[in-house]
Amino acid sequence: MAQCVQSVQEFIQDSFVPMVAVLCSEDAERVTRKNSLSFPELLRPFCRLTSEGHLRDPNNQVVVVKGLRISVTGINTRPPQTPEMHKLLSQAVSVCQPPEGSPANVITAGDYDLNISATTPWFETYRENFLQSMPASEHEFLNHYLACMLVVSSHEAVPTEQFLKLSQEQHRIQHSGEFTHPKWFNPNTLKYYVLLHDISEGDEQRAESVYEDMKQRYGTQGCYLLKINSRSGSTGADEQMPDPWSQYLHKTSIHSPVNVPLVFADGVSETHPLQLDQPTDAGYPSNNVSQSVNNVDVTRPEKQASVTSHTTPTPRGTCLTLNDHDHIRQFIQEFTFRGLLPHIEKNIRQLNDQLVSRKGLSRSLFSATKKLFGGGKVPEKSIAELKNTAGLLYPSEAPELQIRKMADLCFLVQHYELAYNCYHTAKKDFLSDQAMLYAAGALEMAAVAAFLQSGAPRPYPAHYMDTAIQTYRDVCKNMLLAERCCILSAEILKSQTKYSDAATLLIKMTTEDSDLRSALLLEQAAHCFINMRSPMVRKFAFHMILAGHRFSKAGQKRHALRCYCQALQVYKGKDWTLAEDHINFTIGRQSFTLRQPENAVAAFRHILINDSKQSAVQQAAFLREYLYVYKSMSQLTSDSSLPQLPLPCLHSSQTRVFFGHERRLAEGEKQAATHVSLDQEFDRDLSQLWRELEEQVVAVANRGTVPITFQPSQCCLNSQTDNLRYPLAVVEEPIIVEMVFRNLLKVPLALSALSLLWKFTPKDFSGPQVVCAPFFFYLARLKLLPHKTGELHVLGVVYNLGTGEVDNSEGSLAGDLMCVRGQQNLEIQGPRLNMTKEEKTSVKYGPDHRLDPIITPPMPLLEVFFINFPTGLLCGEIRKAWVEFVNVSAVPLTGLRVASTHPEFFTFGSATSDLTPVTPTAAEHCSAYKTVAMPPSVATVSLVSPAAFGVTSSDRPIVAEIPLSQGVLGPGEALQIPLWLRGPDREGVHEINFLFYYESTEKTAKLSHRVLRHTAFICASRSLSVKATASRSNTLHGRERESEERQEGEDKNGSMLVFVDVENINTSEAGVREFHIVQVSSSSRQWRLHKCINPVGDKDSKLASRERGKLCFKATRCRAEEATSEKYTFADLNLGNEQIVSSTTPCADFFFRSGLPSEPRRGGVSTGGASQMRRQSGTDEGVTNIVKKCSEVELDIIVLWKAYVVEDNKQLILEGQLHVALQTIGKEACSLSQKEEAQEMVLLKFKPDVPPPVSKPSLEQLSHLIKTCLHYPESYDHPFPQKSLCMVPVTLMLSNCSLAQVDVIVDLRHKTTSPESLEVHGSFSWLGQTQYKLQLQAQEVYRLSLKACFFQAGVYNLGTPRVFAKLAQTSAMCETSQQSAMPALIIINSV
Amino acid sequence: EVLCCANYPLYIRSVPTQGELKFHYTVHTSLDVVEEKISGVGKALADQRELYLGLLYPTEDYKVYGYVTNSKVKFVIVVDSSNTSLRDNEIRSMFRKLHNSFTDVMCNPFYNPGDPIQSKAFDSIVSTMMVQAF
Repeated sequence: MAQCVQSVQEFIQDSFVPMVAVLCSEDAERVTRKNSLSFPELLRPFCRLTSEGHLRDPNNQVVVVKGLRISVTGINTRPPQTPEMHKLLSQAVSVCQPPEGSPANVITAGDYDLNISATTPWFETYRENFLQSMPASEHEFLNHYLACMLVVSSHEAVPTEQFLKLSQEQHRIQHSGEFTHPKWFNPNTLKYYVLLHDISEGDEQRAESVYEDMKQRYGTQGCYLLKINSRSGSTGADEQMPDPWSQYLHKTSIHSPVNVPLVFADGVSETHPLQLDQPTDAGYPSNNVSQSVNNVDVTRPEKQASVTSHTTPTPRGTCLTLNDHDHIRQFIQEFTFRGLLPHIEKNIRQLNDQLVSRKGLSRSLFSATKKLFGGGKVPEKSIAELKNTAGLLYPSEAPELQIRKMADLCFLVQHYELAYNCYHTAKKDFLSDQAMLYAAGALEMAAVAAFLQSGAPRPYPAHYMDTAIQTYRDVCKNMLLAERCCILSAEILKSQTKYSDAATLLIKMTTEDSDLRSALLLEQAAHCFINMRSPMVRKFAFHMILAGHRFSKAGQKRHALRCYCQALQVYKGKDWTLAEDHINFTIGRQSFTLRQPENAVAAFRHILINDSKQSAVQQAAFLREYLYVYKSMSQLTSDSSLPQLPLPCLHSSQTRVFFGHERRLAEGEKQAATHVSLDQEFDRDLSQLWRELEEQVVAVANRGTVPITFQPSQCCLNSQTDNLRYPLAVVEEPIIVEMVFRNLLKVPLALSALSLLWKFTPKDFSGPQVVCAPFFFYLARLKLLPHKTGELHVLGVVYNLGTGEVDNSEGSLAGDLMCVRGQQNLEIQGPRLNMTKEEKTSVKYGPDHRLDPIITPPMPLLEVFFINFPTGLLCGEIRKAWVEFVNVSAVPLTGLRVASTHPEFFTFGSATSDLTPVTPTAAEHCSAYKTVAMPPSVATVSLVSPAAFGVTSSDRPIVAEIPLSQGVLGPGEALQIPLWLRGPDREGVHEINFLFYYESTEKTAKLSHRVLRHTAFICASRSLSVKATASRSNTLHGRERESEERQEGEDKNGSMLVFVDVENINTSEAGVREFHIVQVSSSSRQWRLHKCINPVGDKDSKLASRERGKLCFKATRCRAEEATSEKYTFADLNLGNEQIVSSTTPCADFFFRSGLPSEPRRGGVSTGGASQMRRQSGTDEGVTNIVKKCSEVELDIIVLWKAYVVEDNKQLILEGQLHVALQTIGKEACSLSQKEEAQEMVLLKFKPDVPPPVSKPSLEQLSHLIKTCLHYPESYDHPFPQKSLCMVPVTLMLSNCSLAQVDVIVDLRHKTTSPESLEVHGSFSWLGQTQYKLQLQAQEVYRLSLKACFFQAGVYNLGTPRVFAKLAQTSAMCETSQQSAMPALIIINSV
Repeated sequence: EVLCCANYPLYIRSVPTQGELKFHYTVHTSLDVVEEKISGVGKALADQRELYLGLLYPTEDYKVYGYVTNSKVKFVIVVDSSNTSLRDNEIRSMFRKLHNSFTDVMCNPFYNPGDPIQSKAFDSIVSTMMVQAF
């Protein structure tokens, strides 16, 4: 229960006070009415006594009466009947609202912090009104009149007569039996005679004399002269006077007329409770006017008061001075102490005496007598009938009631101990008589008296109360009494901190018949729960909700709302969604009916924005209600700024902004560059790739350096892009903002008339009507077209929200009704900053300028179309396509460049090649190559510099410049240029990215360049696999001799054999019938293919599926002057009748672009780690190089082929070229570099590979330093019989293959130890010097003349000389033996 | 009519779905009683205390039973008061079963303590219990 202003004791004392009736003469009434007050009202503020009173109890003990209050009412005041009472109470409660800024009481219970109003003044008001309006009951005497004041004005002609009249009238009312209603405590009521004297009017002398007369007649203690109205009403109006009446009258008179006009505003209403001249209720003293009893004393003044209280603020007591107030106060004191208390004392004594005298009789006898003389009561009644206590009534003089009367009197004068004893006795009597109503009353009061006993505190008999309540409610069916009892008991329990019991009691009292009472009691119960030692928050909340529910049923909307709001504090954010939704919904409704649409909207909003677990039907209902409320609110507040809508959920961080037009993707044959579109997902890697490409192309455009101000162009901004700077948008180019809405509800939402809200000057756009399906994301794209340069800020989105239900019958109508317009702001928070320590420790977010573009002056806009662009190619296939550049803006563009991730994939042709634009259609069926008719013969040779093809030695040409006529592409102009494509070497799908770069002709500061992206996907399928091997030719006698014979003046070691294995590995059924090897070309700086040495007959090598062919070529070293230059020698060996000029576009382009030229490639291949290692090992390095050089070839083979493809019953000829790089003699090289493939297989590497240690040149490698060759006659005839010694001259040719000086030791003595060689060699010996030390210069050929001596005919192997070679500048460590030569057999014939 | 929760609901399931709101209120309010009962037991005895709290309070239509794990997770079962077949022992065993399967849910490494329970196994156990009981 909430805290009260009064203490419990005070409250109970004030609930039971001595009642005093007032009977006023007409004149007296007139006197008081000068102050707009009736006599009882006049007295009311002064009814509480400030001083202590004393009286003696039957045992002559002095009882001190403190703070006694008496209640003075007009004799004909009657408590209102039940319906009026309900009305009154409900008014009182509804009027009493919590003050606006009431002191909030924060209760912390567990994890709940509740903000609860500490006091419940409405409940106190209710309680006070309720108790005051309790009808007097016959079973108790507490609110029966103890005394009656008879008031007569001194103005009266004969006041004493008037007193007499009034006295008779009072007697008549009390004793005639006509009236059941004002109940009197005793037959001999105390009559107190008051002479009212109006000072301003009357003659004081006369009044005094009348008073003297009265004193003689009624005794000094039974009369009083009250002088009031010291001044005439109007004069002192300006004087500030305290108005003690306001707080007493205000409740009954000021507000009643306002809220219930039925009661007071219209005097003729039949149900008027105080309309005494209506003969409807015979039980009331309907005073005759002739008897001059004031029939208006209650109604009229109150009516007046009510009227005046509205017209003039303080009309009361205008004729009274402070002195008069004192007079009245004195009068009350006099009356109480001199009149009332002695009267009570006398009565108590009397009653006590009666009781004592009866106590003499034995109890049984007493009860027997009671039975005999019981009169009215019928003890023989069956219990069932008895329980219907309406029938059981004691006569008013019954002895049982005497004791109760005494108890009540004692109680009223605060003699609680005696009262308790009496109540207790009475209770026993009543119970034994089965007089349940009386018993309950006695029990109730006994409990209260026990509680109020201050001296020797008896434990509060709570069970008395419980029994009393139960009896009242169940047996007597008297809810009013039960309620009173309950309120008292709960209050007492509360004061004893038995909150739980109090709550139970209160909850038990909630019934169906009175919503208001139930609501108030439930609320109090809730407060009890929260005030418990361990606060029961949830019970509090639950009962608050129940109370709220009852309040709303009782029509107390404000209270209901308050209850729900308090309960919401508990349920909020605790995942009890159903309950929370219910509360919010009710709050919304109540707020709405109370015209607090903002709160209503907020409450409904809560229901809708949370992830609701309600059913779809429920949600739809919520939504409708929300929209309705929202709409009515927006009608009320015709504000220009639209309110924020909560639905659907707008994911502002996922907003994407796109600058530029939406692209046409394909236009017939033309295929537009893909560029960027909103449909693409953002890919971090990809964007990084584009960024790098752009950086490269910008670097090229700026002659090698990337400007500091460089920023990659971003066309599409999203949450992952860098949004720290303001994006740039171009005038007259649209900005598309994509917003992500999410409907969390299960019901569809209709959004229509979407438009962006932005700061600039208002422009265009509205989107189409969309239906946001339940639970789905919806992307709304809104377009904005800036017309001026400046800064733009996109602020939010405005739209109409409606229910998505489409009624077939009245779809449009319903849609119009349930549709509200509102906005949502787009507030994008940047990424969380996490760089500095400060940022790490606090949560800070960076800015996000996605939606704040800067509009720049017009810029050129390029569109690129590809014509005949294939999607599938064979590996190495060459295809010609066309590309069209169109400037669609009004500004010329320049500096067009393209960068690509796969520069080897395409070429625009070299600068030297003629760019005679053949139209794409005409060129369709021609060969991509430039051809010359020529029969197959010895290779034709041409020299080409790579620079001509835009290839610098250092880098692969990532960026290519696209030539424009005069370097400018004017507005609206288009340019078509051919484009050659070569299928990637590896099969599979390849993603090829093009980045077109262009600039405006005039430099603007903000946007230096623009880019256009294109991504092409090429599917490469397998074609041919080419493997090539080069082998030394000089180990073969035949070849050596041949070359000797030809005497071409070349170096003796200047030729080699090249074997080319070609295999058709095409597996597709796509109809590649066969491949023809058309031509084999070579490209190298040192070597060239010389001629084909294939077996004749297989001129045009065809390769059907899975076939393999072998071609054999002889390669020779280029001429010295050729070799020295940086130029590459292209040698073409055509196998058919047509020679393809490989040194021109596109063949050479692709050759250079594919990065095959050996030297650049080696630089590229060598990993950083390895090169580092090499640098460390100083001299070894040189050795390795030299040794390597010796076996290096650097010969690139280009195999040109044609493929015959059947497609749609048409035969197509596809052309292509494959490249093989020969690097080392004897090592097989492959067109598909298998090594790389192998590397690709190893994907997961957690550690960098350890670079292979730089090995010393291996034996094998060293063995290639020196080539040896023995020249001798194959057979030698010698007449052994004549000459036993046969001497044969043999020349040992030593040629240094390397470019370094080599020390050579030739050892002839060396004999192999193996037995077989012994056998073979037989006996022959070298003559002369057996060991030669020679030094060979680079590339030097040295002939060493030897002589062999044979002793007999036979076959000998001359290959015995051992040759040791070492590099001149290195230590002996490197010295190693040369390979033993092949058996060099010589036949010695004996002639 | 089996519900299980900490102070915020982890899992709520009720058989007649139309009266769900009422059950939510009932369970929520019963938590006060649970807390009262827990705090009623002395601190020293807290370790050995019986997890089963018994009948929390009867309302006009329902009986509310409570159970608290050592980690203060509360289980509440609300049954129709007209249902006489369920004795204290049955309720006790139901709670034990519920606790076991709740432990299983907690053992799931992908379960984030405090999230509403979305486990099929738990669902099915609760369903079978409900079928048996009602």
